[in-house]
Amino acid sequence: MFETRNTRALAIVALAVPALLGLTSLATAQDKFKLGMLVGGNTCCEWMKAQGDVARALAEKEGWDYVELSNNNDPAVALKNAQIMVQEGAKAVIQFNGQPSSNPAISAVMKAAGIPIVTYDIADPGMYFVGIDNLAAGIAGGEQLGMIIKDKWNCAPDLVISSEGAGAGIVNEWRTGGMRTGVKNICPDIPAEKFVSFEGSGDAAVALQPARDLLAANPNAVKMAVVGINDGGVLGLINAAEQLGRADQVIGWGQDGAFITGDNVNPHLAGSVFYFLEGYAVYAIRDVIKPIAEGKDVPLKADAGDPASKVQPCPVSAEQAKAVPDMAERVTQLLAAPAGTTAYDLFCPNKG
Amino acid sequence: MTDTTNDRTLPAYQLPHHPLRDLLTGSVASIAFTFIAVVAIGLLWVGPKFLSFGNVSIMGTFLIVPLIVGAFAGFALLAGVVDLSIGSIVGISAAVFAYLISHGWGVPGAAIVTLVMCLGIGGLNALAIVRFGADPIAATLGMLTALRGITWVLAGNQRMISAFDIDWFNLINMQVLGLPLFFLIAIGLTLLAALIVTKTRIGRHVQAVGGDDKAAGRAGIPVGRVRTAALMLSAFGGGLGGLVYVGQLGSAAGATGFGLEFQVYAALMIGGYSILRGGVGNPIGGALGLLVVAGVANILDLKAISPYYVNIIIGLLLLAAVLLDRLRGGDSYE
Repeated sequence: MFETRNTRALAIVALAVPALLGLTSLATAQDKFKLGMLVGGNTCCEWMKAQGDVARALAEKEGWDYVELSNNNDPAVALKNAQIMVQEGAKAVIQFNGQPSSNPAISAVMKAAGIPIVTYDIADPGMYFVGIDNLAAGIAGGEQLGMIIKDKWNCAPDLVISSEGAGAGIVNEWRTGGMRTGVKNICPDIPAEKFVSFEGSGDAAVALQPARDLLAANPNAVKMAVVGINDGGVLGLINAAEQLGRADQVIGWGQDGAFITGDNVNPHLAGSVFYFLEGYAVYAIRDVIKPIAEGKDVPLKADAGDPASKVQPCPVSAEQAKAVPDMAERVTQLLAAPAGTTAYDLFCPNKG
Repeated sequence: MTDTTNDRTLPAYQLPHHPLRDLLTGSVASIAFTFIAVVAIGLLWVGPKFLSFGNVSIMGTFLIVPLIVGAFAGFALLAGVVDLSIGSIVGISAAVFAYLISHGWGVPGAAIVTLVMCLGIGGLNALAIVRFGADPIAATLGMLTALRGITWVLAGNQRMISAFDIDWFNLINMQVLGLPLFFLIAIGLTLLAALIVTKTRIGRHVQAVGGDDKAAGRAGIPVGRVRTAALMLSAFGGGLGGLVYVGQLGSAAGATGFGLEFQVYAALMIGGYSILRGGVGNPIGGALGLLVVAGVANILDLKAISPYYVNIIIGLLLLAAVLLDRLRGGDSYE
């Protein structure tokens, strides 16, 4: 009995003392602008972390408070994070949500709290859209690849392979569908049966096995053009072709520019469309967040066709990409540039 | 008809029962102390906000699905059959439920059809494992893969099925006394599961089957039926989780429930379950495991510590739980 009482007393002390101490350490609420950032949290992609790093640095430059949470590529986590942002008193939030099924719920949470939210690349009616015109980027990349197909194979490829990333939903449709459209714009007579697809999840490692299967199922195809939702997906097929000794039979063009810079660019990746994903915060802060912080009324533009801020796509060949620094260096230069300067301004070798 | 578990020779270092010792060595002692430590750290580091209704409500909302799924999946673990397909059952449940609603079905009808389907999935798992003797990990891994594929197909090109039903949304997100109603229901389900496991004949049968199925069979316990029921319960829990997800998000996606099995089983293991040997664990320990993991993640969130550290800490917690389990003598305290 004595021990039970002691145990209870210990438990009460264990809970009460920290509570009292906690009361004394209550943060003094300052009337300072606080920016919340919900990063995508998919371990596939270095740029997701970089998006947070750039937003943090820009927020600090502005003298704002900054809080960052990771969505872990999970819609339920994304919703929980949105609720934490409300609790933490964020005045505006930026998100990249690769699992947009939670966007309507997040939108509702933010609307109820009166907090404006910017979404990158995947539109939602309640969020400011900042991002690329995915369809236009797809078509631009497809046309570049179409010109290579025309020069190299006289518009007569054996296959035009599409590495899909179905998890991205409509974004995948826009990018890969846009690329197919772009190829057809240049080579309109490629028969429909030459266009084939496989699910690569936008990840070189995941794409490897289904790509090997596809190549094995098409042993006679020796002129293969590859498009995809991103560089990783395209690279998955190129790597599979290398493993099978068929690398010289494929030529790819990616999207997002993630694997087209640096010293080890795959020679069969002919080009990509840079979005400079790491630098999106420049657009979001310049065109949405900063005006809001200054008390200006920023009309909600949620449509990808009429965005709050439009990111310019930058199609580049592998040769042109050699002049573009790698992501870490781009981040360094971007943060050193005058406010509002975009990565497109700094690094795109052939600005439209 | 002898229970061979009683024939074990006690280790030399094992001491007789004592209330304080029992408190320290009981089946949920480690996780209970860890939970108290996490709460104390949260209060010390974050302040009273950590236990505010608002913050607990956020954590509670997030934990509803894992708590429900964990409470039911725990029966399968206790019966010695790990069900790796629970995450994908949540996914397909959400997808089918959302699909039916988006095609004009009412919530009650859609929910019943979905749950019956999930019971059928549990039955299929049982058929493979109990009837045909398939390895539970291999069989449920196969089910996981197949269900994930079906979910992707159902989700269509958009990979998402919108199914916003205002009444369902309001019910799932209803607050009672400042906390989410369904969080309280999930806690209630956990307590009910704990009651069944520890205080009823059925619960003892489940533990006996998981602890030593041959001995349980010799004692007249219908091993096959117990495991079949446990697998169907596990699938039913996944089905409930899917319904709740649709209420929370207003939609289902191809990726709904992806990786949930790891989240739930990691927490259940931290809470004292084992995925490799049955008969060990208590639903309250499992729930505390989920609360500990959520609490740690919440502390890091509120202290604005890089989210990339969360998984490291959860991994270390898991290792600590395993080590603590061994230091306490593994099964010997059961």
